[in-house]
Amino acid sequence: MSKIGNIPVNAQAGKKRTNPLAGVFDELVQFCQSRSMFMLHYCTGCGAIELPPAMTSRFDMERLGIQPMVTPRQADILLVTGYVSVKTLKRVILTYEQMQSPKYVIGICSCTVNGGMYWQSYATAKVLNEYLPVDVYIAGCMPRPEAVIEGMRRLMRNIEEGKGHAWKDYFQRYDYYLGNQQHLFGDDWQTPTDIIGEARHYGLETEQTYGEHTRILEQHQQPLEPHKMRIKF
Amino acid sequence: MNCEEINLWLDTLLAEIEEIEVTRKSERRVRVDVPASSLPALLELLKGKASYVHLSAISCVDWPDDEEFELVYHCWSYEAKSLLSAHTRIPRNSAQEFAHYVSVYDIYKPAAFFERDIYEMYGIYFESSPYMEKFILTEWNGPPPMRKDFDAEQYVNDTFNWADYHPQWLQELEEDGGGIAVRPEDIRL
Amino acid sequence: MRPENYQLVALPNSDEYELFIGPNHPGIEGNYAFKLKLDGDRVISGKADAGYLHRGFEKLMEGRLWIQNLAIVPRICVPDPVPMEVVYSLTVEDIEKMEVPLRGQWIRVMQLELSRIASHLFTFGGHAATTGMYTPSYWGVADRDLALDLFEELTGGRVYHIYNIPGGVRRDIPNGFLDRLSDYLDYLETRQNDYDNLLFTNQVFVKRARNVGVINQEQALEWGVTGPNLRATGLAFDVRRDDPYLIYNELDFEIPTQTAGDCLARILVRRDELFQSVRILRQIIKHLPSVKGPVRAPIPNPLAWNVSMGESYCRVESSKGELAYYTVSDGGPKPYRVHVRGASSMHAVQVLENMAVGQRIEDIAQIMFSLDACPPEVDR
Repeated sequence: MSKIGNIPVNAQAGKKRTNPLAGVFDELVQFCQSRSMFMLHYCTGCGAIELPPAMTSRFDMERLGIQPMVTPRQADILLVTGYVSVKTLKRVILTYEQMQSPKYVIGICSCTVNGGMYWQSYATAKVLNEYLPVDVYIAGCMPRPEAVIEGMRRLMRNIEEGKGHAWKDYFQRYDYYLGNQQHLFGDDWQTPTDIIGEARHYGLETEQTYGEHTRILEQHQQPLEPHKMRIKF
Repeated sequence: MNCEEINLWLDTLLAEIEEIEVTRKSERRVRVDVPASSLPALLELLKGKASYVHLSAISCVDWPDDEEFELVYHCWSYEAKSLLSAHTRIPRNSAQEFAHYVSVYDIYKPAAFFERDIYEMYGIYFESSPYMEKFILTEWNGPPPMRKDFDAEQYVNDTFNWADYHPQWLQELEEDGGGIAVRPEDIRL
Repeated sequence: MRPENYQLVALPNSDEYELFIGPNHPGIEGNYAFKLKLDGDRVISGKADAGYLHRGFEKLMEGRLWIQNLAIVPRICVPDPVPMEVVYSLTVEDIEKMEVPLRGQWIRVMQLELSRIASHLFTFGGHAATTGMYTPSYWGVADRDLALDLFEELTGGRVYHIYNIPGGVRRDIPNGFLDRLSDYLDYLETRQNDYDNLLFTNQVFVKRARNVGVINQEQALEWGVTGPNLRATGLAFDVRRDDPYLIYNELDFEIPTQTAGDCLARILVRRDELFQSVRILRQIIKHLPSVKGPVRAPIPNPLAWNVSMGESYCRVESSKGELAYYTVSDGGPKPYRVHVRGASSMHAVQVLENMAVGQRIEDIAQIMFSLDACPPEVDR
């Protein structure tokens, strides 16, 4: 496997890249990637209230090339804006798994770092990094729009320097993340996305992709079925 | 009817109900203590005859020492401009899974929201309330969390991990014999 | 997701289908979900799904000191946090039979009204955006930001202030603050015409919002609607006037009403209310310099403060409606029980479910924003 920037491509094992321009091309791709980012802001908590000022006229995030995007399938950044309750965390994971690689997660507010002021709460998940690979945390309660923009710029720098690899960690250590998710949601937790298949497809599987938790998942996994009408009215 | 007439009327009405205790806390606040059996009748009278049409909230307080739940119905009258809080107590029934009470949904429609809330948070089942299913705590399997005997802090420590924070500056301080003097878990009052 | 995971879904034998709006959806206010059953584009029934923002506030507050709780109460309603602090302080003062100094009361009212302005400006933008007009949302957010700057100068925090404490407010206003507040009010009044032209009398918006999501006064009273949504049905009820707290009975203001009870009426009530708040703030600017004295009553050592036994139910008028706290103290260092009656707990759930029936699908977002539902108040 070899990489061009952040985009993994399947190359035959053992075959080296010989093109001397490949490095230049890498940098070009990274530069372009870092300057056209679509973010999906999942309003999980209070931090969402500082995003409208950051996005609109006064602080104007768009001048950095960052625009809001309404669907996860076309978004590059997942913004988790604040505490995630267990009920929300399920949806955040579903959303994250539907995003296309390369994808980045930004955790806003102290609550995503270590529970914040809701550390006592029975309903919120404490460390977001246990369930999703987080690229950048923006601490504060709540961070000002300037801080949000500074966090975005940090992410842009990371991508430009080729350091934004957290999303690969999700494939490489899927067992760890799945284990934490199962601990919270129960053993029958499954998402419609086939992460192991994707890891294999991208050539990102390692020994830690598999483990006891993925075995539990295989036992419980049920084939996807058409959604049934099940709301009780 | 003006305010005084309604208040007078209210006093005569309240006198009709047995075992009732009325306290006027201030000009616009009335506290009423009634036994659980006559509360629905009281609310019916309040809404039908004394213009208390707005149910502001239903609060529940857990009193484990008395083995009782206290239910407080806050009703507001737009005409008399006063708020009546009807307090009642029902047994806690810790042996059974749920304590039971009757719904007042047929008198006050907003009651449905509060009754569902109390059912989730305290496990009091309201008979004939329309939505007795999970609403907020759909992903919660534990006991009703607002009861006093549920220890949230214990639950959190058992369920969740904490991120390590031991940065360079703290390590340097500790090498010099310093450090955080009082650990967060010790600051309990 | 890989293509082989996709499957064709057999359509049921009818035109009815389900649509989930939220929790992550641009047409929904915050982290909230609304599930609809539709026939074509008509809504047959709807079901609200809350709990995404549940943090268990009431349980958290039982585990913290009276003074510590001040830091978490504003988080219950993010766009309009000041009434939360004030009503919590009011309950504690009521239990302790504490008198707030007059100057403290005036400063509190000033914050409450400024917060109402900020919240309403935010709602205008959100409501207009659901009809496809994005300029008002840019304007609304930008003008709200100026109010947040004033808050920052006054309290140090942009969104959460934690400026009110039981007994009054933390400290006196900074020098020259009233002048800057006055400048902001002047600015808002010059904007009135722009907003009217762009939004409130703009036929594009008016035709879209009229006769959508109608609720009449009888239904509103039956379902427990409060606040601007109730006033949009013609009943001039306002907690500030009818159950006055602080110094509201010394102030001169009107209670704007509309009779239609539709989305347009609701936003017009908010528009008028905003300028009533400007009027109240003008009176405060005039009177506050003549009100001398301390800004807060002395309280005991807040870290070892055992509030005496008692219970209290206090209400204020927040920008969303009637907001109430029921606080019980057993004489300990921590509250025994705090029940939060969120201002939008009625109209975000039951009223919305009832109102959605028979509406068209594109109006659902508009109805939700016009009710100004605040999901964290429902979930707590």
